[in-house]
Order: sequence, then C-alpha cells, then structure tokens
Amino acid sequence: MPDSSAPGARGPGAAAALLLALMLFGALAPLIANDRPILATVSGRAVWPALADLPIVGAWFETDLVRQVAWDPPGPGVRVLLRPPVPYSYRGVDLDEVLRPPGRRHLLGTDSLGRDLLARVIHGTRPSLLIGLGATALALLVGGLVGACAGLRGGLLDVVLMRLADIVACFPPLVLALAFITASGRGGVTVIMAAIALGRWTGTARFVRAEILRHAGSDLWAAARAAGGSLPRVALRHLAPLMLPSVAVIAAFGVAHAIVLESSLSFVGLGVAPPDPSWGLILAEARPAMDAAWWPVLFPTLALLLVLGALCLVAERAAGRSGARASTPL
Amino acid sequence: MIIFLVRRLVSLAPTLLGITLVAFSILNLLPEDPGATWRGAAPSAETVQRLRTELGADRPTLARYGLWLGALLRGDLGRSLRDGRQVTSILAEALPWSLLLNLGAICLIYGFAIPFGLYSALVPGSRADRIGAVLLLVLYALPSFAAALLLQETFAVRLGLLPLQGVSRGPDGATPVDLLRHLVLPTVCLALSGWAFVARYARASFRSAMGQEFLRVARSKGLSRWRAARHLTASAAVPLVTLVTVILPGLVGGSVIVEQAFSWPGLGRLYLAALEGRDYPVVLALTLLSAVAVLLGQLVTDLFYMVVDPRLRQRLLAGSSGA
Repeated sequence: MPDSSAPGARGPGAAAALLLALMLFGALAPLIANDRPILATVSGRAVWPALADLPIVGAWFETDLVRQVAWDPPGPGVRVLLRPPVPYSYRGVDLDEVLRPPGRRHLLGTDSLGRDLLARVIHGTRPSLLIGLGATALALLVGGLVGACAGLRGGLLDVVLMRLADIVACFPPLVLALAFITASGRGGVTVIMAAIALGRWTGTARFVRAEILRHAGSDLWAAARAAGGSLPRVALRHLAPLMLPSVAVIAAFGVAHAIVLESSLSFVGLGVAPPDPSWGLILAEARPAMDAAWWPVLFPTLALLLVLGALCLVAERAAGRSGARASTPL
Repeated sequence: MIIFLVRRLVSLAPTLLGITLVAFSILNLLPEDPGATWRGAAPSAETVQRLRTELGADRPTLARYGLWLGALLRGDLGRSLRDGRQVTSILAEALPWSLLLNLGAICLIYGFAIPFGLYSALVPGSRADRIGAVLLLVLYALPSFAAALLLQETFAVRLGLLPLQGVSRGPDGATPVDLLRHLVLPTVCLALSGWAFVARYARASFRSAMGQEFLRVARSKGLSRWRAARHLTASAAVPLVTLVTVILPGLVGGSVIVEQAFSWPGLGRLYLAALEGRDYPVVLALTLLSAVAVLLGQLVTDLFYMVVDPRLRQRLLAGSSGA
C-alpha cells in the first residue's frame, strides 16, 4: 500500500502533468492532423477551418464560409496559408490509397479504407483519454463517497456498503462493462464511462474507508472535531488533503485501466462507434487485413503502449518503492 | 481445518446471494423485452405472449428474481433464447476450453514469474535485470487484444510457425499435438499481463527477502548466492500464490478478449455471442459464473495458504476454537 503519510514526493505532480499533457494533445488533435488548413483566406478574408474541429470552442470557428468552401484541393478564391503537420483527416476515405505501407505521403501508411493511419492514431487519443479520465473521475467520486459514508457512519451502513464493494469486486470489470453496455441499449460516451466505472469504484471505496478509520483516532482528528467541525467538514478539509497524493496514484493507474477497458470494448465492437477512431477500434479494423498489412496492427499498439507505459511508470514512481502492491494487472 | 472450511463456506453464502442480485439487476436494465428476441421472422403476438409467460417477463422484477433464484438452486439456468437448448449444457460444452486456457495461463504465469523474479533479485542492477524490468513494464502495459494481434501477425502470418486461430486444423487434425500448437498463442497472450504483474511483484518481494537477517548470516558464512536462493524461495514464494486472487478477475475478463481474438470456443466467446444476440439467460448465467469463478479462486487460495503456512493455520484454529 502506498505510504500516504509521506506527501511531497514529486510523483503525484508528474502523474498530473502527464495526464494534462495527454489531454491537451487529444484536444488539439484537429490542429495536428486535419485535411482542413489551420489558416486560409477566402477571397481575402481570413478563416480558421481546422479550429472548427476543436472540442467546445469549435462551434465559434465553424462559420458558413468554412462549411461551404472546399479545402482539399482548395476551391476557387481560396489561399491556404498554413496546413497542419499531418494533412489528413481521420475519416478521409481514399480508395486509391488503400493499405499503402508507411512512406513519404503517409508516414504510418493507410488502413483498408485508405485513411491515413497517423491521423487516426493521433485522433484516437481523444476518445481514449476522454473515456479514461471520465470513467476514472466517476469511479473516484462514487468510491470516495461510498468509502466516506462507510468510514464516517460505521455500523450497519459500513457493513452493507463494504459487503457490496466485495461483491462487485468479484465481477471482472470487463464482464461488468460488457453486460452494462448491452443491457442499457449500447451507445454513447457516457454509457461507456459509466460501464467502466461500474467495476472500478471498489478499490477507492476501500482505500478511503481505511484512511478514515486510520485517522479517526488521531490528534488531528480530535482537534478538528473539538474545534466544532462537523464530520463531513473534518473529512473534507483535513483528511482529504492527506489522501491527495495517494489518490493521484490511484487515479493514474485508474486511467490506465480505463483506457485498456475502453480499447477492449471498442475492439469487440461495443465501445466507440466508427468512424471515430479509438485505438481499440483501429486494431479491430486492422484484423481482417492482417495478412496483407502489418502497419495497422503495429502503430496503434505502440501508441497504446506508450501512453499506458508512461502512466504506469509515473504512477509507480509516485507510489514509491515500498515494495508493496500499488496496482493490479491491467 | 474442517471447522475453518465450514465457517468460510458459510460466510460465502451472503456474498453469493449478493452476486446473483448484482448480476440480475444489471441485466434487468435490458430495455428490450426478452420474449421478443426469439430468433425467426416476426413471431405472432400469440407466440410472444406465450414466451413472455414462459420466461416470466410479464411478472414484476422481484418475482422474476425469485423464480430465477429458485431455479438456480435446483441447478436450472433456463433455456437459451437462440436455440432453446438448456443453458447448462451450452456452458458445459464451452467450459473445458476456457478452463484449459485459464489453467494453462496460470501455470505459465507462475512457471515464468518466480524464476524470473528470483534471478533478478539475485543479480540486482545487472544488465539482465534492467532489461528485464523494462520488458516487464512493456508487457504489463500491453493490452491483451493488442498482444493477440501482435502474436498472430508475427508467429502465424509472417513466420507461419503456429496456427492463427481455432482449436484444430479440421476434423481429421484433432490430435493432442495439434491442440497444443493451437493452445500456445492464446495461452501466452492471456498470461502476458498477469505474468508481468506477478514477476514484478516477485522481483520486489524476493529482493526485500534477500535483506533478511538469516540470509545475511548464511551468506557471510560462505553459502553461495544460489544455495541461499533455495532458502529464499520457500519464504518469499508462498505469498506470491495469493496474488492469484488479484490476477483472477483480469484472467476471466481477459478470456473474453483472447477467446474472441483467437476464435477459441470457450465461455468468453460464448459471452460475446450471447450479448450480441441478446440471449438473456446465457448472458445472465455467464455474468454470474465469472464472479463465482473469482470467488472460488479466493477460497482455494485461502485454503492453499492454510495448508502451506503452519503459523496461519494455528492462528486461525486458535481463533475459531476461541470464538
């Protein structure tokens, strides 16, 4: 168990920075790989077509002009000033370029519909990260609440909640997620997040409960209570900061787990819906053409490995070399 | 020992009941009417009604749970909506394949993880140890479906050494050797992640055990590293066995992916097919079975631990007679 009483290690900060960097990369993917230019002029007026594909702020750049004009090849009166480094969209089907090996035009080659693999791998970051983070946040929230209720209330509630956690922990998360997605009529990022969180809150609940019980008798606790703090207030103001470094570690491992689950779900066709790319989905689509092309198998795998490996490494550093288990197999 | 076993089994009962409840309630989110999914073109309203009554779909949920639980206690899991066969006989067909795969994977995990951990603990900081550490991290982070594709691409498609998928070459090729050849890739694939996990753990626990007093004494009296390792294994390897409970959910869940990727006719592939066909009784039975398998794994590990660790046995026996 990670030693939560020794905060100040750089690990949790590094985990947060890595997650932030990955999120930023995923969010900015439309500026890195896009068949629309970043900056162009249409009869003298400057437009930012690639920015229109950004999440949240995109709608603001999606003007009529951007929607109507052809960009590839540029329509009449269009001057392209700046293209993204990878000038392909993740869904730009090109049947003349089917299964091209990695080369100068397509750095990582193309898939069986002629889509640029690099663009797809880059855009695959977004659903994976979004679902990974969302599911983990949900699991931490639910697990934290359950653990806090059990730890603070004690008694029958504690017994019931922890028994429930034990029961849910018996189910393999993937089995639970598959059943939930099918049962709820499939579809949607939120459903996938909930499905993943469903099997992943129990660890957090146990951890939070144990921490509360550990601190409940401490001087810190007594002082805060004597000063008139209510139970939830003491837990939130005085205990939560103590748990933060450990929670960062749990979160980093949690995101790695959630990404594996998401890509596994996509791989069996119950996750992200095409044409949106998820690394699992790209690999599922690579399977039928496996004997003709190796690149659609290799590169998404490398992307997964890179992200998951980095997450695990950072999380483990943060957990310290206490020699004890800080994780479960992915 | 017997007392302990009985107590342990009794304490399992509420958990088992909870498992049935959780499985049942998740599957009851099904928006569709199970009666309407029977295969065949547009069943008549009469047939649908008859099926609904037969399946109990026209009763309240709680009553359905009661009925299902009652049938479950009698060993009746219902009939498949797809072909009307008994779910138990469908499961019985697929179970041996999954057992073969999972037991093979567990053997592989421990067969490689413990020697690996021991070796890297004996030569800490060496090049082999460092390369091994990186390799383990990579394998740990490699999702099983990606591993499956990489293994298939390398060993089946490019090198042609092993079969791509399935369990035999054909009706005439069902020899043990052929089965083994088909077993290699799926087992390795299923074992990879758990192997990396146990090996990393083994490495850490052997290394910390190396620092123990009795070993330092033994070493300073001239016992070689390798002889010392023998003393080490017993004390440090036994706790590793309890890790089975940690890797088991991953193995059972991972079977779904691995069996799908290798067209292995086990429970995992059956699960996906049942999900796709909305074959409600089969899905429910398999969801339940996955959790029960994990629970049984925990029980077996507990018992094993009791058998090999006399201290624990004494403590537990003292506890049970005192209670």
